Amino acid sequence: MVREGKLSWLTHDLTHRGVTAWLLTVLLTGFYLVLYYTEVFTSVARAIGLDSKWTFYGLVYTSAIVVGGIFVLRKYRHNRYQVVRTSVVMFVQAVFAFSIPAILKFFHQPEYYFSYFWPLKFDDFVPGTIFHLPLVYILYSFLGSLLLVPVLGIFFGKRWYCSWVCGCGGLANTAGDPLRHLTSKSSAAWKFEKIAIHTVLTVCVALTALLFVTWGVGNRAPALARFTSGFQTFYAFLVVAMLSGVVGAGLYPIGGTRIWCRNFCPMAALLGLVQKFGRFRITVKDNMCISCGLCSKYCEMGIDVRSYAQANQSFTRASCVGCGLCAEVCPRGVLRLENVRRRHPQELALVQISPARGGSRVAI
Amino acid sequence: MRYVIIGNGVAGTTAALTLRAREPEAEITMISGESDYFFSRTALMYAYMDRMTLRDLEPHERKVFAKQRIDLVRDWVVDLDATERTLRLKSGKTIAYERLLLATGSLGTRLDWPGLQSAKEGVVHFVTLDDLAQCERVTPSTSEAVVVGGGLIGVELVECLAFHGKKVTYLVRSPWYWPGALAMEESEIITEHIRRHGVDLRGTEEVDEVLLGADGRVRGVRAKSGAEFGCQMLGIAIGVSPAVDWLRTVKTPPKIERGIRVSPSFETSLPAVWAAGDCAEFAQDGEWVVEQIWYSAKRQGELAARAMLGDRVRYEPPIFYNSAKFFEIEYTSTGSIGKPPEGSRTFFCRIPGKEASVRIVEQNGAVVGVNMLGARWDHTFFERWITERRSMDYVVNHLREAQFDVEFARVEIAAVEASYKQWRSPVSS
Repeated sequence: MVREGKLSWLTHDLTHRGVTAWLLTVLLTGFYLVLYYTEVFTSVARAIGLDSKWTFYGLVYTSAIVVGGIFVLRKYRHNRYQVVRTSVVMFVQAVFAFSIPAILKFFHQPEYYFSYFWPLKFDDFVPGTIFHLPLVYILYSFLGSLLLVPVLGIFFGKRWYCSWVCGCGGLANTAGDPLRHLTSKSSAAWKFEKIAIHTVLTVCVALTALLFVTWGVGNRAPALARFTSGFQTFYAFLVVAMLSGVVGAGLYPIGGTRIWCRNFCPMAALLGLVQKFGRFRITVKDNMCISCGLCSKYCEMGIDVRSYAQANQSFTRASCVGCGLCAEVCPRGVLRLENVRRRHPQELALVQISPARGGSRVAI
Repeated sequence: MRYVIIGNGVAGTTAALTLRAREPEAEITMISGESDYFFSRTALMYAYMDRMTLRDLEPHERKVFAKQRIDLVRDWVVDLDATERTLRLKSGKTIAYERLLLATGSLGTRLDWPGLQSAKEGVVHFVTLDDLAQCERVTPSTSEAVVVGGGLIGVELVECLAFHGKKVTYLVRSPWYWPGALAMEESEIITEHIRRHGVDLRGTEEVDEVLLGADGRVRGVRAKSGAEFGCQMLGIAIGVSPAVDWLRTVKTPPKIERGIRVSPSFETSLPAVWAAGDCAEFAQDGEWVVEQIWYSAKRQGELAARAMLGDRVRYEPPIFYNSAKFFEIEYTSTGSIGKPPEGSRTFFCRIPGKEASVRIVEQNGAVVGVNMLGARWDHTFFERWITERRSMDYVVNHLREAQFDVEFARVEIAAVEASYKQWRSPVSS
């Protein structure tokens, strides 16, 4: 039941797909389209002394994370995991994703984002781009993407990146926090997620391979070069501009905060696979779940956490970004994020388990 | 085989899914008058506080029931004929069964306070979907509310009303909040916490009379102490009772006392009729008891289904445990709590800087109960230690293993250990 009062009506409407939520969606998607395809924000940027519309966008984005983050820090101040995690994600955004690139640019150095890696930051792996950078950047990009990301993923799960470092997760977990419950929990949405995200990953890997081949072949195959360049433009338009920007952030008030991360991000797909083989899991306390459903409701990745909790089944889902909100909202303290040495094979099973105790399994 | 289950709560639904898992061909029908689909009653408060929709309370996707071929009937059962093995529904339909499970749950306990019978508006309970609808209907026309009953449902209703900005008076019969589960020290922490949320919590107050306005709406309650508390909404949360009254007047009633009397394998006094969950009353250590907790209903539902399938089942309730949340303070309890048993000794310590405490009760050299406030603990460790009859020393030394708090927020066990040392041998320090 909605609390009485005009302000309560507004917050409810904004966070429950009401009229104002749709209006906000139109505004947000419009903002992205204007940003990508017009120069309106170039003049805005100049007016406030910034060099480009992208720096302006970075400033807006970082401000959203910082302001939203302050609210989140207050809201979850009793939960130290949330306090530490939110502080880190705010810090990384403000320093690594905004200040350092801006400073580098000011000193006419390459504008490099140290908090992004392949396959999310695709450009850093394009031979034509990366090999023009100083060796330090090349090493950072390759070792970071191919070694640091998966190794940390094995030890801590994908959360070390997706909810501690990444800017997409940063926005979702700060300014987007009041909208986190909107992500669909249906099994149909889960099916879509699995197909969509692995398709993007496959396309992304194929494109990367193609870029290396094209670079290796050099000028000998102009047709291949044309094809690869077309492919890259297509990927940049569909995946980077549309899915991560317009759809991913624009639809926050309607589809929740992790549309991009859950369904399309190739980095999340890759880390999800790593996570399945790593140490991270959500531990479920035996027979304490009351099936209230707060965990599922507030899961931004659309995981039906309750289905595991009520079946007394600790689990590792590829999509889980380890934000820890399921554990936070649980009124009976049933859930805990853990990095464990050994996991039971059943935790990796994709089959749902019947609510009946004692492991009687039903394919639902 | 044709199975019919009355009640689609956690006991009934768990039983239905257990039956299906074992008997792919059986016909399974589940009847409920309250709701179309199984929902989590324990989460009613979150619907009331706008944190979830009613649909969110449903623990399974709706299509699960079609897929599992569990026929759902929305109706009230009005008659049971165990000789013909039929049920008559309120709509007039008749349903035949071969094996029947009664899983009708419980309802908010009602007492016959003067004035209560004539109240037309403003009296609410907080157990069923209907109760929630009542609460939501009278909320807008309420500015002051009184909640009676010092248990979990009471504090949940209080939290909801406080959320909606009502001036809440919370009347508790005992000198301190929830003496059934909390000792005075823990209760003080909780009481202080509840009061900090603007709730006027009063101990040693018992309702004498419900006061009504000319229109039949509640206008207050008078306590036995003589004090009067004005309100437009009176929440009664003095416990729950098995929802079995309708069964007393059917053609062939099973044996009923407080609840439906069942054997250790959940058989009622009627042939081919079992009962499980909140509505069932069974013998434990020579006493008849009713278990009214979510997990016990779940456990009973599964075991009753297995009994109906022909398994040899002998139900023995495990070591008692429970958990709760009082506004923000979490609580975990295992074993014998409440009144300490004779000859026992109790270690209690408040964790510095937190609304948290640790209580361990030992009897004859073995720990028998643990009561924890303000931090998260894995009760399965406590269960094991109690079963293994571990000493208090052992439990304190291994307390670390049972911690279940979020990362970076583990309670400082060192403080507990230091306090324990001091308590055990105050001279040496």
